[in-house]
Order: sequence, then structure tokens, then C-alpha cells
Amino acid sequence: MVNKIELENRMIPYKILLEALENTYELVDFILLDDTIPSLRIGLKYLISTIEKHIEEAREGLPIVGHHFAFQAEYLECFDLVPVCVEGTSYILSALLPEGVEKYYDLMENWGHPFHTCSSQKGVMGMTLDDLFRFDAIITPTGPCDNTYASYPYFQYTEHIPTILPEMPFLHEEKSYHFYGQQIKEGLIKLGKIIGQEPDWDKMRKALEMDNKSLKPQLELFELKKAVPCPVENMFNAMSAAMSVFAAGKQEKIDYYNDMLEVAKFNYRQKKHHGGEEKIRSIWPYMLIFFDLTLCEWLDREIGMSVLFDIFNYNFTELVDTKSDLDTMFYGMAKKGMDFPMMRQSTDFYYSFIDDCVNLAKEYQADCFIFTVHIGCKQFGSVGQILREALRDEVGIPLLMVDLDVGDQRMTSMQVLRDKINMFSQTLL
Amino acid sequence: MNLDNDPFLKISESIENKYVQDWKNENKKVMGYYCTYIPEELFHAAGFLPFRIRATGHETDELADIYMVRFTCGFVRLTLDLALRGGYNFIDGLFITNCCDHARRMYELYDLTVFKKEEFKGRNHRFYVALPHVVTEGGFQWYKQEIIELKKEIEETYQLGNISDEALKNSIILHNENRRLLREIYSLRIIDKPKITGSEFLQISMANSSVPKEIANKELARILNLLKNSPGIEDTKKRILLMGSVVDNLSFIKTIEESGAHVISDFLCFGNRNIIDDVKIEGDLLENIANRTYYRMSCPRMMDDHERRFEYLKKEIKRAKIDGVVMQRINNCDLHGCENMLCEHEFKDLGISAFNFDREAFQTDTNRMQTRIEAFLEMIK
Repeated sequence: MVNKIELENRMIPYKILLEALENTYELVDFILLDDTIPSLRIGLKYLISTIEKHIEEAREGLPIVGHHFAFQAEYLECFDLVPVCVEGTSYILSALLPEGVEKYYDLMENWGHPFHTCSSQKGVMGMTLDDLFRFDAIITPTGPCDNTYASYPYFQYTEHIPTILPEMPFLHEEKSYHFYGQQIKEGLIKLGKIIGQEPDWDKMRKALEMDNKSLKPQLELFELKKAVPCPVENMFNAMSAAMSVFAAGKQEKIDYYNDMLEVAKFNYRQKKHHGGEEKIRSIWPYMLIFFDLTLCEWLDREIGMSVLFDIFNYNFTELVDTKSDLDTMFYGMAKKGMDFPMMRQSTDFYYSFIDDCVNLAKEYQADCFIFTVHIGCKQFGSVGQILREALRDEVGIPLLMVDLDVGDQRMTSMQVLRDKINMFSQTLL
Repeated sequence: MNLDNDPFLKISESIENKYVQDWKNENKKVMGYYCTYIPEELFHAAGFLPFRIRATGHETDELADIYMVRFTCGFVRLTLDLALRGGYNFIDGLFITNCCDHARRMYELYDLTVFKKEEFKGRNHRFYVALPHVVTEGGFQWYKQEIIELKKEIEETYQLGNISDEALKNSIILHNENRRLLREIYSLRIIDKPKITGSEFLQISMANSSVPKEIANKELARILNLLKNSPGIEDTKKRILLMGSVVDNLSFIKTIEESGAHVISDFLCFGNRNIIDDVKIEGDLLENIANRTYYRMSCPRMMDDHERRFEYLKKEIKRAKIDGVVMQRINNCDLHGCENMLCEHEFKDLGISAFNFDREAFQTDTNRMQTRIEAFLEMIK
């Protein structure tokens, strides 16, 4: 008889994650007032529901498939499997575990992984090295960065996990979308052969339709952020990133955005800012940090700084056409994949990224930009100064750059980050 | 045979050289490029001198630091710094491919910084080719189309008319001959009594990428004759294979040699890895050029080709009677850093001595590096 515990132990970090989510939710629910940090409360609720289902699926013996965050989980809905987002898992655990996941980074670095690679992949690599994940297969597009090309071969050549690599071309052109669409399709067919399943395109179509539904409230929320004060709290950005990764194509994602939309509408009508008074409107063109989510609250309450967007939350994806033929659907999936946060900016020249930033700054009345230069993201390592110059010349606002590792508190500590932001804020007020 | 003062090798010690100046004096154009994933034959057939950008001897990156954060590659930072200071004022265009995240962003940075300078007015053309990251038939078809489009773009930009098949064929023959000569020289490096050192081979390779191939071939043939008639090096130094990030820094390879080793072989882009494969001269010539560039012996930017690279390394270690492997990476080079990690474990499993370390692009920390290399050499059985 199959031992169900053994089956769920193929993904121990998800069990740790579920416990961390439940504990955090309990704390939020017991300690905070009912209307405090609603995005955290709502997000945790839906994340718990999603992760619980995944663990149940693992217990039923479904194959465990690791995927890059840029290979959207809803694409994998054509199979019965348990999706594990490699980058998302490292960082959500980094955010929720009191000790972070530094010990897995260290484990991997002791094995020879360079210190300057991306911690989002290093975390799950370390967990795999420690036998906490037993993947049946892994799928990743060939993007967005050197770290993906460099780190994923570890799974393929050292852990001997079958790895599928749909080719994502550089440059946003029509031919790229057609090519990548075919690559997604072929990649899924290959994955099916590895896990012994036929892809069910209709099932995937339904998941895509679900994800399409979540776009409307998401875009409405973005519209509301134009209001002064911003009616959406900073924590929304972090939770929204988590929902996009873990609950793609699921009802939980739709519910999260709908619930948050209600909160935002209420705040908008009341002209209410989460921190009391909005003093500075900031855009984070790259990531928020993951190793300490209290930053969001600190910015709202102590500095009076709204984070209008981070890279995971200025969404330029379009609805996928699910009503036409299969190739049209794959074309839409490719377009969405290449426009996905971070992919859009990494698979194109800097020009469109700079244009996006300038336009957002104007449209959302931003007072400043804060650019977290993540050690892993070499593809963004040369844009800081030219973005700063563009913002200065075209909008007249400053940009603060902070070098750090968004998933490792040891490189630039929370205290250093706060000090820098504090001093920067004083120059703005 | 000591080639230290050979005029051809001396070219490697500077950036611009008299052959480039002669070329420019004839009103011919120079195309700068960063990575060896370049259809060099196509640019040559179009009348360009393809010049591989490097920063040999340049040891400051203050200007580049304005634009590139400290997590970026020191080699690329140095080249940008040099370009910002006028070191590459002689180029008439820049070819970039998505070889790595550091070098590919030079497309924008040259546009927004270097090419803004008055000296580049009318000479600031840039070409970009998207190279897939996996080796598949589908990927090749994509790349072939990119090369077809590139040819058209070059023809239109410089109003060249059609780059003829005859010109392509001549270029292919010239470049194949160039690689053949380099392979012959390389074969004299890996014999029991090597006739050329690793640092000399690096100098030849760098010089070769900085002059017209017509000149290079004559010079390589001359050097080959000199070497053939020279006595080999007789000593008992350890025989090393050097692999990893780009090396355009002679002091670095000399440090290894001065630590008591011969760098008998390498797996570097300024070195052996770039001369393994040739272009076929029958059939569709443009397709053949694309074929060689795409299917050639890869570097870690090709993410599914590690096994082929490692198989090649194993064979080369046997062929060149290598005692140990030195794996190095320039700090922040994720691609070679992770490849070295995989290889280190695989070498260990095979009982092959290997040493893996990181370094700056320019020579620094020499004593500590030398001590570590000496310790490694002593540990080799």
C-alpha cells in the first residue's frame, strides 16, 4: 500500500510553507484588529487554500513538477500534477520563516554555487540537494537571465531531473510570439511524455480563462492607485506577487483581487491612506525585498510612502484568446509569457523599460523611484543610471539605488535599507 | 622557442594597432564585437574588419561604474570604460548577441553613452542577433533566419548591394584556413615537449582577433614555421588545462605559469574553444555560417549542452596528458561560475585534479592567487 506521508514528503518545503502560512495567518487574525493589513489577511487565506490543495495532490501521488515563475502555472493545468514554483518557493519561505532560507543558500554555496547567483533559485536548489524536494520533472523557459541558464543545469545534470527548456527568444516581435508559442506547446507535450500523461488542452483553456478573469479586478486596482492618497496598501504588492505565482489560473487568485478591489474602493471613497498620511508616492521599478515583509508596513506607517508598483505589479499582459484555435491560444500564451513581469523587461532592450517607467511616473504622479539592484539580476545591472537620467530629465524626480539580495538579509540588512530610505525621504519632504 | 618579442604577439598588448590604422586609412570599416558567437565570415564578406572588443592592460573602470553596478562583470566594465575614454573610437559599428547578460546590455550602453560622442557621428550602427539558449533543430531554424535578416540589414545600412556568394565563399575559406593554422599551432602546444606556452597562445589568439584575417594567416603561417623548427620545452612542470571566463589578461595566465605549470590546453573563448569547428563550403553558404556559429563547441550560455562540453574536456585532458584543471571565473560571471561548479564535481568523480576559484578581470591579489595555485600544483598526484 502506498504510504501517503511518503508521497507528501516529496515536497517537504511545501509542508513547511503551509505551516508558516497558517501560523502567520493565526497571528494576524488573533493579534491585529479586523481591518488591519487586509491584503495580508486576505492573501494568506487564499494562499493557504492553494497550498493545502497542492499537498493533498502530492498525497494522492501526482507528479511533482518544478517550474520557473516565468513558465506560468496555469499552463501546467493541462496535466494532473503538483506545480512547484522554484523562485516563488525560495522567496515566500524567505519572507515567512523567522530564520529565512539562508541555510539552503549556504548549503548550495558550500557545494560550489557562486555567491553572486540568484537566491531565488539557490534556495530550492539547496532544498533539493538536501533531499527535501523530489521532482519528477522541471520546466523553465530560456529566460529571463544568466542565472536561469546557469542554475537550472544543476537540476538536469547533477540531480538528473528531466528538464524541459522551451526556448524564449530575445526581442518582442511577432515572430518571437509565434516561435515561443510553439515552444510552449512542444514543451508541454514533452513534459506529458515524461510524466506519462496526455496534455488536456481543454483543461488548460479553462485555467487560462480563469486567469483572464483575474486580470479585470487587477487592472481596476491599478487604476485606483492613481488616486491621491493611494487607496491600496503596500503589502498588496507582495501578496499580489505571491498570488500570481502560486494561484495562477485558480479561483483563489480571482477572489484575492476581487476582495482587494472592495477594500481599495472603500479606501478610495473615504480618501483613506493605509499609513494615515501619504507623504511620498514611490515606484519600485524592480523588486520589493522578500526577506522582511515588514518593510511594506514600515514604509506606509513610518515614512508615509506608498509603493505604487513594484516590477511584479505593473502588469502589461493581455487576455489570452481562448475562443479561437489552439495555435492562437499558444500565441496568446507566448505573448503573455513574454510580457510577464520581469520577462517583459529582460527579453527586450532597456528602451521600453525606461519608457514604461517614465510613463508610469507621470500617470501615477510618482515623487520618486527606488531601485533595488538585486545581486542575481545581471540583466538589470546596467540600467540604473540611464533610468535615473531619464526620470530626472523627463519627469524631474529622483531615483535611489540600493544594492542588495532581495532574498538574503545578510547582504544588505533591513536596518541599512531603512536608513537609506529614511535619508532619501528626507531629501524629498 | 621564445616568442616574447614577436611583433605579431605584441599586437595583443595594445588595443588599436597599425593594421587597424592601415585598414581605416583605406576607408574601410571596423565592426566591434564582444562574443565569439558572431558570424565573422559574413562581416568579412561585407568588407568589415571584425574586431573583438577587449580591455587588455586597462585597469580602471571608474567611468563604467557610473553605468554598471558592482555586480556586473569586470571584463565588460573595463571594456566600456575604455570605450568611454576613446579606446574604441576606431569602430564603425557594434555587433551584439545575447551571449551573456553583461555583454548584451552593451547594445544600449554604447548607444546611450559611447556613441553619443561626436567622433561617432554617422558611425554608430548597431546589429543585434538573438541566439537561442538550447541546441535544437527549431533553435537552428530561428538562428538561420536571424542571420539572413542580419545580412539584409548590413547590406541596407551600408548600402552594399548584395553580399555575393563568391564573397562569402572567399571569407569562409579564409576563416577556415585561419582556424586550421591556429589548430596546428595549438597541436604544438599540447605535445610532450611543447613548442609554445599557454600565454604565447593567448597572445596569438588575441592578436588574431584584432587584425585582418589576411594578415593574420600570413603571420600564423610564419609563426608555425618558426615553431616547427624549434626545440620543445623540456621540464617536469605540471600540465594544466585552463577553463572558465574570458581571459584577455596576460598577467593572469603568466601567474599560473610562474607558479610552476604549463598551461598546455584551454577551454576559453580567446583560445581553443573558438577554433574547433569550421564552416562547410558546399551548399547554402549563409546557412553553413549559421550552422557553424550555432552548433559549434558551446560555452555555458548554451544551457542544455553541458554534457557535450564535458565530454570534449575529458577527451582533451587525455589527449594533452593534462595533470590538473584550473577553473576560473571573473567575479559575477554566473554562467562560468555554475559550469565550473558542475565540472568540479564531475572531475572529482573521475579522479581528475581540479581547482576552482574566482578572480577580478584585471590582475590583482597576485600573491594570494599564486600561493593558491602553487598549493594546487603540489597537491596534484
